[in-house]
Amino acid sequence: MSAAEVTETPSAPATGRRAYNRKRRSCPLSGKNAPKIDYKNTRLLGQYITDGGKIIPARISGLCAGKQREIATAIKRARFMALIPYVVY
Amino acid sequence: MAYYESVFIARQDVTPQQVEQMAEQFAGIVSAQGGKVTKTENWGLRNLAYKINKNRKGHYVLMNLDAPAAAVHELERNLRINEDVLRFMTVTVDELENGPSVMMRKSDDRYERDDRGPRGGDRGYRPRPARTETEGDE
Repeated sequence: MSAAEVTETPSAPATGRRAYNRKRRSCPLSGKNAPKIDYKNTRLLGQYITDGGKIIPARISGLCAGKQREIATAIKRARFMALIPYVVY
Repeated sequence: MAYYESVFIARQDVTPQQVEQMAEQFAGIVSAQGGKVTKTENWGLRNLAYKINKNRKGHYVLMNLDAPAAAVHELERNLRINEDVLRFMTVTVDELENGPSVMMRKSDDRYERDDRGPRGGDRGYRPRPARTETEGDE
């Protein structure tokens, strides 16, 4: 299997189209009364890191590019201040 | 003047009183340089997510500053010198928070759901109107 094939969903048919078109949810942090992204808000940041402590990619988190960037900086700041771990073993 | 938010972590074995003193000392440095400390918040002794210089815990202090850059440089220089400070970070912010930060209110505000009302709901269940005996008879 080549690297290009791996990126496709395993269930995708040979035509190369997605098996089903799931509607993309709109960015959960863009709305009118969306919570403010802040490195101190560890509970919010916790939603955007994996159990291993990695930042969840925008592809999965569903955030828009700008908010994903904000979340990423906030997570990095929180890590530096030892509010959330860099790695979870 | 620009707005800054400065957080520092003090070693685990300093007393809370000493932490207060440190916060005052640093606030003094800022005001000596022509800045203003609009808020000081003590988060208390918190567990660190990982060990820093063999410390498992640390006293967190947050300071909101409205200060010129020179004051921040002087503050950071002093934070570096002080051996009781494990780590510090100053970030620029667009506006200073007046109320308590997320850290302080953590416990009471559950995840914001005011736009959709409380969770659960009654799923459309409505109690049936009690059947009166006269209805069936006629």
